[in-house]
Amino acid sequence: MSWGGFQTLSHLWLLTLLAPLIVFYFLKLKRPRAEIPSLFLWRQVLQDQRVNSPFQRFKRNLLLLLQILLLLFLVLAALQPFWRGGPGQHRRLPVLVDCSASMAALDKPGGVSRLDEAKTRVRRIIDGLASDQELCLVSFDGSPHKLTGFTNDKRLLRDALDQIKIADVTSDLEQALRLVQAIGRSEPFDEVLLFSDGNFPARVNFDLSFKLDYQRLPPPGPNLGITALSAERAATGGWDVFVQIDGSADAEGNASVELFQDGNSIANERITVARGHSQRMVFQVNGEHASSLRVQLTPDTFDSLASDNAAYLDLPESRPLRVFVPKSLFSYRLALQGIKGIRLFPEETSDDAGSGAYDLVISDNPQDMSIPARTRLSVGFIPPELDSLIEIGTNGSAVVDWRRDAPVLQHVQLSDLVVLDQPQFAENAGEGDLENLGYEVLIYGEHGPLMVRKQDPDSLRYALLFHTDRSTLPYRVGFPIFVANVVQAALGQAGLAEQPAARTGVLPPVTLTPGGHYDVQAPDQTVQSVAADDRGLVSGVSAPLAGYYSVLENGKPLRRVGVSLLSPSETMLAGVDQIQFNERLQVGAAQQIVKADMPLWPVLLMAGLAVMLAEWWFFQKKPGGWR
Amino acid sequence: MEPLAPRPQMTTLLANSVLDRLERLRIRAPGRRTSRSRGEHFSGKGGASTEFCDYRDYSPGDDTRFVDWNIFARLHRPYLKQFHREEERHVVLLIDASASMKFEGKLDLARPLAAAFGVMGLLNNERVSAYVSHQAGNAPDRLPPCRGRANLRTLFQFIENIASQGDAPLDRAVELLLRHHTGRGVCVIVSDFLTFGDLKRGFNLLYAAGLEPLGVQILSPREIEPEISTDLRLVDSETQETLDISSNDDLASLYQEYRQRLETDLALLCRRRSGRFLSVNSETPVESVLFDQMRRKGWIE
Repeated sequence: MSWGGFQTLSHLWLLTLLAPLIVFYFLKLKRPRAEIPSLFLWRQVLQDQRVNSPFQRFKRNLLLLLQILLLLFLVLAALQPFWRGGPGQHRRLPVLVDCSASMAALDKPGGVSRLDEAKTRVRRIIDGLASDQELCLVSFDGSPHKLTGFTNDKRLLRDALDQIKIADVTSDLEQALRLVQAIGRSEPFDEVLLFSDGNFPARVNFDLSFKLDYQRLPPPGPNLGITALSAERAATGGWDVFVQIDGSADAEGNASVELFQDGNSIANERITVARGHSQRMVFQVNGEHASSLRVQLTPDTFDSLASDNAAYLDLPESRPLRVFVPKSLFSYRLALQGIKGIRLFPEETSDDAGSGAYDLVISDNPQDMSIPARTRLSVGFIPPELDSLIEIGTNGSAVVDWRRDAPVLQHVQLSDLVVLDQPQFAENAGEGDLENLGYEVLIYGEHGPLMVRKQDPDSLRYALLFHTDRSTLPYRVGFPIFVANVVQAALGQAGLAEQPAARTGVLPPVTLTPGGHYDVQAPDQTVQSVAADDRGLVSGVSAPLAGYYSVLENGKPLRRVGVSLLSPSETMLAGVDQIQFNERLQVGAAQQIVKADMPLWPVLLMAGLAVMLAEWWFFQKKPGGWR
Repeated sequence: MEPLAPRPQMTTLLANSVLDRLERLRIRAPGRRTSRSRGEHFSGKGGASTEFCDYRDYSPGDDTRFVDWNIFARLHRPYLKQFHREEERHVVLLIDASASMKFEGKLDLARPLAAAFGVMGLLNNERVSAYVSHQAGNAPDRLPPCRGRANLRTLFQFIENIASQGDAPLDRAVELLLRHHTGRGVCVIVSDFLTFGDLKRGFNLLYAAGLEPLGVQILSPREIEPEISTDLRLVDSETQETLDISSNDDLASLYQEYRQRLETDLALLCRRRSGRFLSVNSETPVESVLFDQMRRKGWIE
């Protein structure tokens, strides 16, 4: 291991200045002549052993020695020597800085956040950067952000470091490592420096191809936070709001949880959180109108993380599910009639199909699929976009397998189901082609899929590729369960069954005027411009911070959407000491804080200045010369 | 009644008032080295002066003129009266007028001091001779031995004409002096004694020649307290040799040490040869040297 070195060894030629220095010294040393009566005594004095001792000889040439010393200090400073630290061994060093929500946690009241601590350490490395060394700054939260390329520009690196801000999202180390790996393809390096509190999964699906120096930051203080917020439709027609409070390993104590509906406090509860336990509570909320809920957690003691103390939930109006099923599908209508909270169209007493959009459309008529609805179930025909991939035979089919974990097929037994239709893949078509179109096979038949599912951002579509009337399904016990599952899916899609609070990361889609242009104002007052698509959806809006996001049209607020952190891992501030990579490769947290190269030229310059001052003092200032 | 006109100055070397005081003083030598020739100094032996000294038993062959008949009448035994013997003493003035003496009034003090000793010698009927050493190898300028008040002016003129030059070492000057000198007495050496020669040899020669050395070292203030504020190249005023020194207080203290050691050595050299030694600052007034320092130390009485 090298203990140090010089950054600009080429300046060694400055040592040649020693020659003129010595020459000039002796030229300047033409002493003033002083005539005295006799040298008799002086000769005796100078022949004295004490005068000729090595130290006395040294003192006689002290001025020259001081000047040589001063020049040596200056030349050494020009060579820019440095004391080797940790990262100084590498010419290129990518630095990963975690800026996820947990990095905002403070270590003590009024203390510094984990991110600030990381910035301090990285800044130290930047300050000690040698001229032949380059850093690449990458911050990562839910996604990585390359802040700089490999550069030696300290100002650029410092500016980039200052720009790193906390995002109230969970961190994704894997993505960050992949980005760094991609950078390494064009600009190779040997080691990556990672600054994080360790709040990420202990196992990372990544083939580590470089050395990872994992600098785990000191643990923060105790924290309580809201980790779950959702609402379920209550039997009374309102909403049951569920709130879960979790804490870090060392967090315990009392707190108050207050629920606001449209800004008005409607409930307030005191809770006590024990170490290692969580608290759950349920609030009853009126669902007559769409409303906005805010849950505010106020711990009685120090709380290291503020972003998880508030959660937001937008509740739609609680109403019956509007379902359209043609009267020809009697079995479905019959199954739906047994489910509460449903308004079925067309109604039994009339042929009025109703007006407006439906929440669920179940039909065996392809034309009914054009009825606006959030959830559709087509029965007995192939969706037009799958016409080229699937064809219907006449030999009948049987169920081979089905996705038991699919919500729509939960508790539905499909074995021994007799199907007279025979959906089968067209020639040269396969399941991959369906997946390319966004379809997922739920029920596999002997020759092809029997049921597929497609989830769009604003709609959910199921397609039974066989007609249930030409199968034994309506006669099975599982059929009403299947229909109930479809209804649950429709309720979920319509937001009438369960309404989870939106999490930070991406703003939930907002339906506005198609083609309209809007501004979205974040909680930190930053504004980003967005455009609604042809369906009026504004989606994919980045929402890195917890809080309310306002959708503005010409500066006027149209809609307000709240997003919350709601991450148990971030709230619990749990950090891993060992990161498990593929091939059982483990990386442990470094035991020592990474040390930056320590430049020695300021010390040498100060020493040179001290020598100069000493020379000035001894030979100019001090009365009677130096002693 | 008209006031008396001021008496004209007899010499530029010494004020009349100093001369007046010197008239009443004489050189006091530790030893009593005198010449056989008659003079005014008691010798250690009995003599024929009028100054009674002692009695002794009569021995056959003694001059009966010196028998004390009064005692013989009372005691019926002859006793011989003894008288002090007054012999002549030489006062030799050796003035170092080498180039080193021109600094800071050293010679300006040396000349009146030598003149004062000369005056005391002449006024006490002693044989006074003066030698001035200049150039090495040359015989010193010489004032032949003279005696009596009548030679005062001659002495003053000789001393007034002394100019500092040359590089004569003192021991060599003593050697050359003794080639011309005869007679016992004292040798007043007025010098800075900063010489590379062998002073011990010179002093031995003086002592062997019957001269008690009275050394008067005159040093300038800068020789007593040299100021070394910077690096210097010292130039010897006599030899023009150079010596580089650096400003150093250690050096200054060493210089003081060696200067005081020189004084001690010189004092020892003189004392061992029945002489005296005095070191004076060239800025000290001659009156102070004569009537204060020398009188207190018993040089003159």
